[in-house]
Amino acid sequence: MEYEVRVEGLDFSYENNYILKNINLSIKEGSFVSIVGPNGSGKSTFLKNLSRYLKPQKGIVMLGNDDITKLSQKEISKRLSVVPQNILVEFDYKVKDIVLMGRHPYVKRLKGETPEDIKIAERAMKYTNIMEFSNRNFNELSGGEKQRVILAQALAQQPKVLLMDEPISHLDLQYQVEILDLVKKMTLEEGLTSIAVLHDLNMASAYSDYIVMLKGGEVFFKGEPAEVLTIENIARVFNTNVSISINPATGKTYIYPISTIPKKKRDFAVHIICGGGTGVKLIQELAAAGFTISTGVLNIGDSDWTISKEYELDVAEETPFMAISQEAYDKNLELALSANVLVLLPVYFSKANIRNLKMLIEDRLKDKTIYIVENGSFEQRDYTNGEALSIYNKLIDRPNVIQIKEEQLKEILIKADENHDK
Amino acid sequence: MTNKIINRLISFNILLMVFFICFIISVRIGAVDIPLEEILKIIFLGESTDNQIILMDIRLPRVMIAAVLGAGLSAVGGVMQGIFKNPLVDSYTLGMSSGAALGAVISIVTGVGVFGYATTGAFAFLGAISTLFFVYYLSKTKNKVSINSLLLSGVAVSYFISSLISFIMLLFSNKVEHIVFWTMGSLSSATWQKFIFSSCLIVPGVLILNIFARELNIMSLGEESAHYIGVDVERLKYILLTVCSIIVGAVVSTGGTIGFLGLVAPHIVRLIWGADYRRLIPYSAILGASLLMLSDAIGRVIIQPAEIPVGVMTSIMGGPFFVFLLRKQKSKGA
Repeated sequence: MEYEVRVEGLDFSYENNYILKNINLSIKEGSFVSIVGPNGSGKSTFLKNLSRYLKPQKGIVMLGNDDITKLSQKEISKRLSVVPQNILVEFDYKVKDIVLMGRHPYVKRLKGETPEDIKIAERAMKYTNIMEFSNRNFNELSGGEKQRVILAQALAQQPKVLLMDEPISHLDLQYQVEILDLVKKMTLEEGLTSIAVLHDLNMASAYSDYIVMLKGGEVFFKGEPAEVLTIENIARVFNTNVSISINPATGKTYIYPISTIPKKKRDFAVHIICGGGTGVKLIQELAAAGFTISTGVLNIGDSDWTISKEYELDVAEETPFMAISQEAYDKNLELALSANVLVLLPVYFSKANIRNLKMLIEDRLKDKTIYIVENGSFEQRDYTNGEALSIYNKLIDRPNVIQIKEEQLKEILIKADENHDK
Repeated sequence: MTNKIINRLISFNILLMVFFICFIISVRIGAVDIPLEEILKIIFLGESTDNQIILMDIRLPRVMIAAVLGAGLSAVGGVMQGIFKNPLVDSYTLGMSSGAALGAVISIVTGVGVFGYATTGAFAFLGAISTLFFVYYLSKTKNKVSINSLLLSGVAVSYFISSLISFIMLLFSNKVEHIVFWTMGSLSSATWQKFIFSSCLIVPGVLILNIFARELNIMSLGEESAHYIGVDVERLKYILLTVCSIIVGAVVSTGGTIGFLGLVAPHIVRLIWGADYRRLIPYSAILGASLLMLSDAIGRVIIQPAEIPVGVMTSIMGGPFFVFLLRKQKSKGA
């Protein structure tokens, strides 16, 4: 296995204060690696050790097959370039001049840049889409444009490894995506190895092949994003409670911070019939508003089941892929009876879960208020050859059943809770 | 592309014209006005007229020294602004010039100066370089040199050295006149020998600085970024600052402390031709040469029969420009 960057037993300290302790890391060619961790965890210092801007007291950094301390500064700059957090240029230089500076390690003294150097710089400018302002002064550009210029300069060095220290932290969302997309493209198309310090865990999750989590100068966790970005790891490293779901569009881990402001607790109980991810948003909303929530019947492993467990809700559960058993049905009914109101979300119905619908027309629940959220036509969600539809039609004829949009639900439930208290 | 080359050629030629005009003006005017026709006759036809001695032994070496010193100071100013990434820095604001003056003064009062002109130059160089490194060391906290503390230490050390020089003047009152010359900056004692000595150090020095133009451009991105692009920053700083100290030593031992020129000339070049050091160093040198010749010429004639020392002239004209730069920087920072 070919490693582009290898770090062994690296220690770094400033005046006897350990900043980095025993770091070991191997990074494969063509991968996108993010370094995450709280402020002061040594992320930037680690990058500076990789680029030899700082020299570690102990341990080695290998670039390809070479020990970095044995390479000249120019030699390193031909293989590794760095995009710092933000750059201040004292005097006025044109964008193209700044990019051309990236060719410095290749230019011979007294000779000047060759047409080849200019071509390479232009290619880098095209790649980062800055050709249109190549003749403008660097200091007149916006933050996002400047960052792209610096990226172009780094690419003009034709590096094998690109280090970035919070390259997007001062940028608007649009530019954040633009910059990271560019770098990701380089890793995929040209085998560039990128190592980025990122603050935004979701960006790290979306772009990285590999994540290194630092705390107090030590590697706490490393691995693929889904392995590293777990609720437990984030709680340990960042001292923050988060909830996690899977971004349906990308399949990547998505992290939601949970506010630690004590919630107003309501003794108003809501039982939600959901499944297949229909309940995620509502559960988060209602939990944040302090409602007592229960859900059912959910198959173990269902995304609604996962989030219910994360919020430690009462759940009527069933083995994965199994139809609802009598036992689960009874538990569900029990939860429904003890709730103040019931909510039915737009769930798909099959033979396996039709008993969730049947339960709602039980006589014992006829006095309960039931809110039904509908987002289309029920027929499309009915995979029971009409059996579910006939139950559904009976249900909506009941006096206590109210059809409602999901957005209005929270507000109405809060009102219901207030009326209930009086 | 060709358009740009033509534009550059034109602007460079304008600069050269400015240089020659300043040269001719300064050769012509002074205590004795020498008509242009006579000048040409003396130089090119070797005719001996009434003013031949004045021109060849006094005026011409003085003007040529002004040109060389002006070029050296301006190149050094531009380079130091690049190294320290600050437009307010030059050999004067960082105390190098006063340090060099102290070195020169010490060589005079201790009598080592009698061993020749080069000894004074060597003392001036030692004064310049040790002051520079002392100022740099003073302003260094936690491995970082903040530009504010650099300027403040430069000013503080300058004051300290000025009072040292005043103190020395008190002790050696018989040599006061000689010492005042160093502190004020004057070209009145110009000789061909001094011209040859100073240009032997300054001209190669400026050429060496010019070799590092590309690195200086990169330094504008900051030391950290320069490091990442493959510049050996510490080595570069040592080389450049040593060369700068040699130039300043040569300048001060020839003409005393001449302030503000090194600050002003590079800025005018930046405003007109941009910040690229590959142009900035040669252009600043030519512009600085022109300005110093002109300042000296004006100083010679403005309060005749007396003379204003050239260092006073440059400070009178450069001081307001410094304030202008300072205000401009403030508004940029806010």
